[in-house]
Amino acid sequence: MSQAIEETASAPAAVAQPRAALTRSLIGGLVTSLPVLVVGLLILNFAPTYYTYLALGAFVNLIVVVGLQVFMGNSNIANLGHSAFVGLGAYGVAILSTPLAMKKLSIPHAPFGFATLQLDPVSSALIALIAVGIVAAVSGKVISRLSGVAATIVSLALLIIVHSVFLNWTDLFKGNQAFFGIPKVVGLPWMMVFSVVVIVLARLFKDSRWGLQLRASAQSPQASAALGIDAKKLRLMSWVLSALICGLAGILYAYFAGTISPKLFYFQMIFNTLAMLILGGMATVTGAVTGVIVLSVGLEFIRSIESGVTIAGIQLPQLLGLSGVALGVVIVLCMAFRPSGISGRYELDELLSRFFRRNAK
Amino acid sequence: MDYALQQLLNALAFGAEYSLVALGLAVVFSIMGLVNFAHGEIIGVSAYSVFLAAALGMTSPIVAVLLAVAAAALAAIAFERVAFRPVRYAPTTTGLLTAFGVSIVVQNLFMLLISPKPQSVSILNGLNQMWFFGPFAVSSLQVMELIVSGLTILALVLFLNRSTLGLAIRAASRDFATVRLMGIKANRVIATAFAISGALAGIAAVFIIARRGSVSPDLGFSLVLKAFVACVIGGFGSLAGAAAGGMLLGFIEVGLLVALPQEYGGFKDALTYVIIVALLVYRPEGLLGQRVELGDKEI
Repeated sequence: MSQAIEETASAPAAVAQPRAALTRSLIGGLVTSLPVLVVGLLILNFAPTYYTYLALGAFVNLIVVVGLQVFMGNSNIANLGHSAFVGLGAYGVAILSTPLAMKKLSIPHAPFGFATLQLDPVSSALIALIAVGIVAAVSGKVISRLSGVAATIVSLALLIIVHSVFLNWTDLFKGNQAFFGIPKVVGLPWMMVFSVVVIVLARLFKDSRWGLQLRASAQSPQASAALGIDAKKLRLMSWVLSALICGLAGILYAYFAGTISPKLFYFQMIFNTLAMLILGGMATVTGAVTGVIVLSVGLEFIRSIESGVTIAGIQLPQLLGLSGVALGVVIVLCMAFRPSGISGRYELDELLSRFFRRNAK
Repeated sequence: MDYALQQLLNALAFGAEYSLVALGLAVVFSIMGLVNFAHGEIIGVSAYSVFLAAALGMTSPIVAVLLAVAAAALAAIAFERVAFRPVRYAPTTTGLLTAFGVSIVVQNLFMLLISPKPQSVSILNGLNQMWFFGPFAVSSLQVMELIVSGLTILALVLFLNRSTLGLAIRAASRDFATVRLMGIKANRVIATAFAISGALAGIAAVFIIARRGSVSPDLGFSLVLKAFVACVIGGFGSLAGAAAGGMLLGFIEVGLLVALPQEYGGFKDALTYVIIVALLVYRPEGLLGQRVELGDKEI
């Protein structure tokens, strides 16, 4: 970790040639998103529909995990409430963009005139993002003031608050039932575009002066405070950015699935995405991407066993909970043996350039 | 009047339960800085061992109570030995995430090995009766909860203040290195802390089983989330803060239950958390936590 920071910090480019540094992290972000693009294109061209659907889900997870990385990776505070923002984004577009005929069936008594309002998908998405941003700014105000552990607990409290509002404000959110009829306007190509944008954005934030300062303040609060770094402000900033990315993931999910329900955005999503980030390594955006790719494939494999398979003529029983056990084991083992995850402290492009430099010598 | 007393007792009983669980979290956190998300699963192990014992033919409620407490203490020690020892010297976030992982594993193991559905356990139902004091009818469970929690906390205070190991635990929460220099084994201190924490969870588990009459995989999880919140309002790591925070949480919940109209009852949890987060805006370090400036050396 310290070496990574040294490397970025010692590059005089950060001050003298801001444009060169910007280009470097832009290219870095694009390199990091290359594997995602390759996988996406392969699926787009060759895979059957069922796999495309799975891939869409994996891309949503990818965006959530990258969003999570923006806060957790830079501030080093565990966030266990991010799926609240995914849910807010999804429900935001669901309420705004669902056709009126559908709304008559699902939320006829919605307050504030939402029952008679139908916007196009793009402006719905923008308004939903603004709403997510407001909730994030208010909650971030509290969370950025707290010390690490208390901030984590409050992020959990936020998740429970939001979930409980989804469940109980039935006029607006339809409660426990599925909210259906959201226009399905997002396919794999758009999902890929947004994934790349989000990855580049996360990388730009990490390499920006704010990201660098935030990472410094996570490593040594005292030293960074002595240098005049306002850690609270930076934590708030990364919290809001992280929430917006998670909100975007929710919006995309709603637009591809067409149906959402509150339990999608609760602990199961937290478990999944957290395990992905930890396995990949939370210090880097590359880690987020790696974790999603590895665990998406792994989990799909485990799920196929979970539902009961026939091996060599023997029908195995349903093993509900197996994927949960696997996720937990991944987290525990990672923390014990490799807390920095698969990718460690270097981004993909940094690794590649080190590799080529070594070979050139 | 009757109603007010009833609600007061309700609040005290809820508060006592939260305090017990919150104290268990605080004991462990104060010593090794571990945010033990797996505490709920310690309650779970305790409850499921009572379920299994009952299924195998155990009938005595007293044995069930002893079993619950012993199983919880053993589970806590086992979790520490297997999962938390490798991350003992790691940063807080690492420990927190490990504990979160342990919690997921154990919850899903209950699902995998026993059943995802709630299982009924009737062995402790006898604890939950109505007692009549003149004109008042009170739930025996709530009275017992209050008394037992009070006694447990008293015992804990005596242990921490009067015994050598208790002294070592209190000292370890200030400066572990010096405690080890005095010739006390770190493993022993930590194992004791986990055993205490587990026993507290076991007592809470007894009351949960008696009240619900069933066990389910996520039985301890939401309770522990509340206990964490209690710790945070009390000031994380402070034992008195955990107990006070638990009580406060009990009073806020019952207050909301009384104040909210029936149709908004579902918002109770959400509002409880909103109130607590609002409290934290004014006192980010918690009610009884001390404001520690960076670089302060604790005396």
